[in-house]
Amino acid sequence: MHALEVKNLVKTFDKLVAVDHVSFEVPEGSIFGLIGRNGAGKTTTIRMMMSIYLPDEGEVILRGVKVGQEFKNKVGYLPEERGLYKKMKVNDILLYFAEMKGKSGRTIQKKADEYLKRFELYDRRLSKIGDLSKGNQQKIQFIATILHDPDFVILDEPFSGLDPVNTELLKDIILEMKQQGKVIIFSTHLMEHAEKLCDHIVMIDQGKIILKGALTDIKTEYSQRNVSLICDGDISFLTGNPIIEKISNFGNTTGIRVKETIHTQQLLKLLVDNNVTIKKFDANDISLHEIFLELAGRENGKEAFNV
Amino acid sequence: MFNYRVMAIIKREIREKLLSRTFIFMTILFPFLMFGGIGIQFALHQDEANAKVAIVTENAPLTQSFQKELLTSDVMKSGKLSLMFFTMNRPELKNYLEEKKKDLLEGQITGVVYIPLSSLKDKRIEYYSKTPTNLALSRKLEGPINKVLIDSYFSNKALSPSELDFARKSLDFSGFKVSKEQNVKEEGYGNLILAYIFSFLLYISLLVTGQMMLQSVIEEKSNRIVEVILSSVSPKELMTGKIIGNAFTALIQMAIWISPIILIVSTTLIALPPELAFGITLMQIGYLLINFALGLLIYLSLFGMMGSIFDNPQDAQAGMWPIMILILVPFFIALSMMENPNSPIANIAALLPFSSIMVMPIKMTLVEVPIWQLILCLFVNILTILLVFPIAGRIYRVGILITGKKPKWSEVIKWLKYRY
Repeated sequence: MHALEVKNLVKTFDKLVAVDHVSFEVPEGSIFGLIGRNGAGKTTTIRMMMSIYLPDEGEVILRGVKVGQEFKNKVGYLPEERGLYKKMKVNDILLYFAEMKGKSGRTIQKKADEYLKRFELYDRRLSKIGDLSKGNQQKIQFIATILHDPDFVILDEPFSGLDPVNTELLKDIILEMKQQGKVIIFSTHLMEHAEKLCDHIVMIDQGKIILKGALTDIKTEYSQRNVSLICDGDISFLTGNPIIEKISNFGNTTGIRVKETIHTQQLLKLLVDNNVTIKKFDANDISLHEIFLELAGRENGKEAFNV
Repeated sequence: MFNYRVMAIIKREIREKLLSRTFIFMTILFPFLMFGGIGIQFALHQDEANAKVAIVTENAPLTQSFQKELLTSDVMKSGKLSLMFFTMNRPELKNYLEEKKKDLLEGQITGVVYIPLSSLKDKRIEYYSKTPTNLALSRKLEGPINKVLIDSYFSNKALSPSELDFARKSLDFSGFKVSKEQNVKEEGYGNLILAYIFSFLLYISLLVTGQMMLQSVIEEKSNRIVEVILSSVSPKELMTGKIIGNAFTALIQMAIWISPIILIVSTTLIALPPELAFGITLMQIGYLLINFALGLLIYLSLFGMMGSIFDNPQDAQAGMWPIMILILVPFFIALSMMENPNSPIANIAALLPFSSIMVMPIKMTLVEVPIWQLILCLFVNILTILLVFPIAGRIYRVGILITGKKPKWSEVIKWLKYRY
């Protein structure tokens, strides 16, 4: 059984279709990535999952039941645009968020202290939020998201604005939560994060799903017909060749997709016959980045993914 | 509706507002400001009473009768008013005015009342002064002067003294215009003061609490914190919590403000002079508070709605004039009732949505209001809440998530139909 099922969600703002018949399933105990570039519809999808927006069509099913307040109680949500009450004290705001989820008392205070220590913010627990640096405010917000021990954690662009040390800390905590059997859903436009963390992904572009499934399956499927090539020499003769489906220039490397799996050997032969100096010919490697660019279109992709 | 989520929000709002500097300042300082204001006005009145007025008539007997009447009238009792009497005709008056121009301008002489012979027939008298619009003075002199004019008018006609008394009486009576008001005055001049206090307190409280609500919604919206909160609670719960939290704080503030009045009414600790006695019962104060609580729910819904439409305070200030009108107009109606509590406008406004919040308690303080009207007023306000709250809620839940461009009113109306 799936932990969460998103069925046929549609959301339109005026004339813009922000989310266009999106369906996917989030398996139990998985880290689920919602990827796509800015404005693709990730946040709108997440907001509908959180019942912040009501969908025009479709529904979200939590373990067989339509989501409602029960889901809100079980979820920890970190929105893309962070915000806290500037005048409240760190400790107060953590307890306030937990209280809205129905958790209060000594256990929560103890947990808050633990997390604050872990994020090296314990000495600031009585400071006002407004006196904290932006990065520290983000950390507080993350603690507030997970303090009530939610079954589901939804993180919208959790890594944006974090320094490398804290990015690693966040990744550790995400993996830890996975081990505790929690479902983690996060959205990102940074493919490396998704690639390193996710079990399952959904790729959204212009409100539509363009790819979904287990990350390993996807990679296998795409890598079999994909060759990552670094070479010297003119390879323009390949264009129009019947075994080639697509050639994508990524700068250093060229990604070539052949029509059938067996065509990779023919491609190698073709290159050697045409006196191309091959430096790297990898017939079993493709990054999520490449898959995305291939699917979402390279021209637009380039500006969105300067990473 | 009152689940732990709403309670958490209410608690936070109350804590934040009660401990805020604005709240503490307002609660402590406002009464001082208000009574200070009243004190200054009182002082100004005192100052005005220190007047020197010349009474000028056209013949000696008339001057004498004015002298006799005025010097023995109540007006002189305070000792602040000094009168001079002259007999002059019009050209002489002109010279006199020319001569005393400097004194008049410098205030040595407050004014000159000229009572020509013609006034015996048409009652037109003239008042020369730097400030001829000084109503306080003319009102004081009006009665005695009128009396003399009546006396002399009827003395030529063969009337018995009792007939004269009768004629005089009726004219005196008309000088006070509204008979009921005289009743009120006899019972307690204090209620007029109370009515003033109540109207200012209600007005200021609605304004300040509304502003605070507005700021707080805008803060949540522009800070984007609202999205985090909405991951735990529904927009309706959030709005309900905020409205109740803010209303509660305002109610506490109001209770603190009127606690001296409650103390005066319910105990004998502080005794006021009889002419200042407050003719109000604890029940009426309770009614005022209940009515005010309903009003807060209505107005705070509207202020919350406004806050959700705009995402910065400047736009919000510019865009909230419709609500300001809904507060200002009842306030002015309430003030106008000090003059005439039974005016038709006041009677209607006391039962209309929005205006009844301020007008009804003031009316109740000034005159007897039938019980059915008091109940109807509460009923109207509850109905208004039931009407305003869902509309405000629909706009709020859309508005708080929309940032960027300032929306047009036509768009806001469209929000009402949105499915969110």
